[in-house]
Amino acid sequence: MIAPTPDVLALLEATFDAVVIMDDRGRILAFNESAEAMFGYRAADAIGRNVSMLMTATDRLHHDDHVKRYLGGGDARVLGKGRDVWVCHRDGSEFSVFLSVGRIPNSEPPQFVGFLHDTHLRRKALATLDHERQRNRLYLDLAQVMLVATDRNGIVQLVNQRAFRVLKRTNAEIMNRNWADNCVAPDDRAIARASIRTLLLSANDEPQSCEYHVRASDGEDRFITWRGVALHDPDGVARGIMLSGEDITDQRRAESEAHKALERMNSVARLATMGEMAAGISHELNQPLAAIANYSQACSRLLRVPSPDIPEVASALEQVSVQALRAGEIIRRIRSLVRNEDVRRETQDMNDLIREVHALLASDARVHDGRLALDLSQALPKVKVDGVQIQQVLMNLVHNAFEAQSNEINRAGHSGGAFEVLIATRPTPEGDVEVSVSDLGPGLAGDVEQKIFEPFFTTKATGTGLGLAISRSIIKAHDARLGYRANQPHGACFFFVLPAQQEPHP
Amino acid sequence: MKELPQTVFVVDDDDAVRNSLRLLLKSAGFSTEVAASAQEFLSTYDAAQPGCLLLDVHMPGMTGLEMQHQLNVRGAAIPVIFITGHGDIPMAVEAMQHGAFDFLQKPFRDQELLDRVQRALTRDTEYRARLRQTERIRERLASLSPREREVLDLVTQGKANKMVAGDLGVSQRTVEIHRAHVMQKMEAGSLAELVRMMMAVAPPQ
Repeated sequence: MIAPTPDVLALLEATFDAVVIMDDRGRILAFNESAEAMFGYRAADAIGRNVSMLMTATDRLHHDDHVKRYLGGGDARVLGKGRDVWVCHRDGSEFSVFLSVGRIPNSEPPQFVGFLHDTHLRRKALATLDHERQRNRLYLDLAQVMLVATDRNGIVQLVNQRAFRVLKRTNAEIMNRNWADNCVAPDDRAIARASIRTLLLSANDEPQSCEYHVRASDGEDRFITWRGVALHDPDGVARGIMLSGEDITDQRRAESEAHKALERMNSVARLATMGEMAAGISHELNQPLAAIANYSQACSRLLRVPSPDIPEVASALEQVSVQALRAGEIIRRIRSLVRNEDVRRETQDMNDLIREVHALLASDARVHDGRLALDLSQALPKVKVDGVQIQQVLMNLVHNAFEAQSNEINRAGHSGGAFEVLIATRPTPEGDVEVSVSDLGPGLAGDVEQKIFEPFFTTKATGTGLGLAISRSIIKAHDARLGYRANQPHGACFFFVLPAQQEPHP
Repeated sequence: MKELPQTVFVVDDDDAVRNSLRLLLKSAGFSTEVAASAQEFLSTYDAAQPGCLLLDVHMPGMTGLEMQHQLNVRGAAIPVIFITGHGDIPMAVEAMQHGAFDFLQKPFRDQELLDRVQRALTRDTEYRARLRQTERIRERLASLSPREREVLDLVTQGKANKMVAGDLGVSQRTVEIHRAHVMQKMEAGSLAELVRMMMAVAPPQ
């Protein structure tokens, strides 16, 4: 038995792998420290014994034959290749190692060196990894958000408990299937696919947000707000995406309810403001008007007697003019009130303003058994207005239009087929924004047309005669004019032209 | 009995409205008294004064409705015409439910006002006449002896003299004498008139 040279032995001790050198009969010539640690034998005990003691029972039987066959010119099973083999610890436990065997060059009789790489450790590492995975899985499942990972093609690679629950599906029903096709509500699939594409194309790890509905197995759609990141491999190639999603269906529903309630309140408030203003004004104005009526009627009575008390009549007439001036003063105050009101001019899309009050106006239409139609030009410049005031004017005009038609129908005693009000917007040739409210009612008689904007002029039994006057003041305060023209083929058309906002707007 | 002259009372906090009403009513020949507030009116008003009241609904301090309530508490039966502005219809309805005679919306035509004032004054006259009538009936009732009152109650229930005699345990002749005294003291010409008098003073159901 020829022992390896000391420098070979020194080399052996330096390697991490277990190294065993044997001769052509399988006897152990060298057994390094790593080998001692791996098998539980001391080198002194191992050297000289047959290497088969390190093998499992099955391998042991064939080992000598393998060696003989190789030495007899047969093919090598292990030599130069390396493979996983099961080996046996001193305590009898079996474990796998990665074995590569080489013939030591120029050794005669031949000596063989076996490197045993401890896959036991690898397994341990794998077990640790597995544990890590399980722990990660737990994290995933504990997460209050839905977590979904897909590959580049949108095939689901990972999904957590929360996602199962929201989707009311099992792991198998989600995994390895196309996320968008399988789990996203049909109408939102395009959005989902686009968001995956966008993420995959994104150069950085910045999360991106989007919102779409998923469809649960029972057909229920849930609204999810997603944040997604692309998963890149070390070369920076996007391998897939990871999505975290929060189910905001209930929250959104509550918000929408609250929003609707607020809108209703706002609408009522706007109407109330107009109504209260009109009531307050009418009360204020009734006082001088009543006094004027009383004084002047008293005068005509006082003058009817054979010898009228002229000083008394003169004094009453004096009072008439005082009261008329008082009424004028009230009107002046109202005008300045409308002008000086905290006007909040903001850049607005006129069509949006109309759409905002559309629901309210439509309910007005239903009250009058009519129909409200919109004809909104898409090519409108923005305007800088106080949205609420403009909406008040619109509501006033639409309300008038419906009343005019229903009065006409009452008078005519028929229900004429066409009974609708049209709100239209269009750009004027000068590039401004014209808003018109037209109806198919009786329109305005020539003499009425002259007076329609005068305060307290009304054709309505219960009108205050202030709606149009206030509306005109509001429009005038916006550097515009409230005008009237006959509608074709018949009816009335009120319109105003708002100047387009000057500043260029993105 | 001589009637006191009728007065149209005007209560309105607005000077112009109040004074113009006074002039208008005066021009139509009505005697008028004005007050600028409910308190001012209530402090001087004597329920014995016949007339009617033009009352503004909207007044600072005591409103028209509160003043009407005060009058009701005092038992003053003066007819009240409320003057309201636009949109006071619910208030007017409430006023009517509490016994207001009428209401007018400002501004109003003079004839409308004067007609209503005239009707209110007529109602007041009739009411006061009825009031005096029942007072007289009560005075006459008070002059009856206890036995005469018993006879009156029984005959106005529709009982014949014979039944009254049985009920009271006296002779039919005695009943006839009491009954003659009752008719005389009550100044009633017939049994039917006597029954009407008793109904006029009966407490309302």
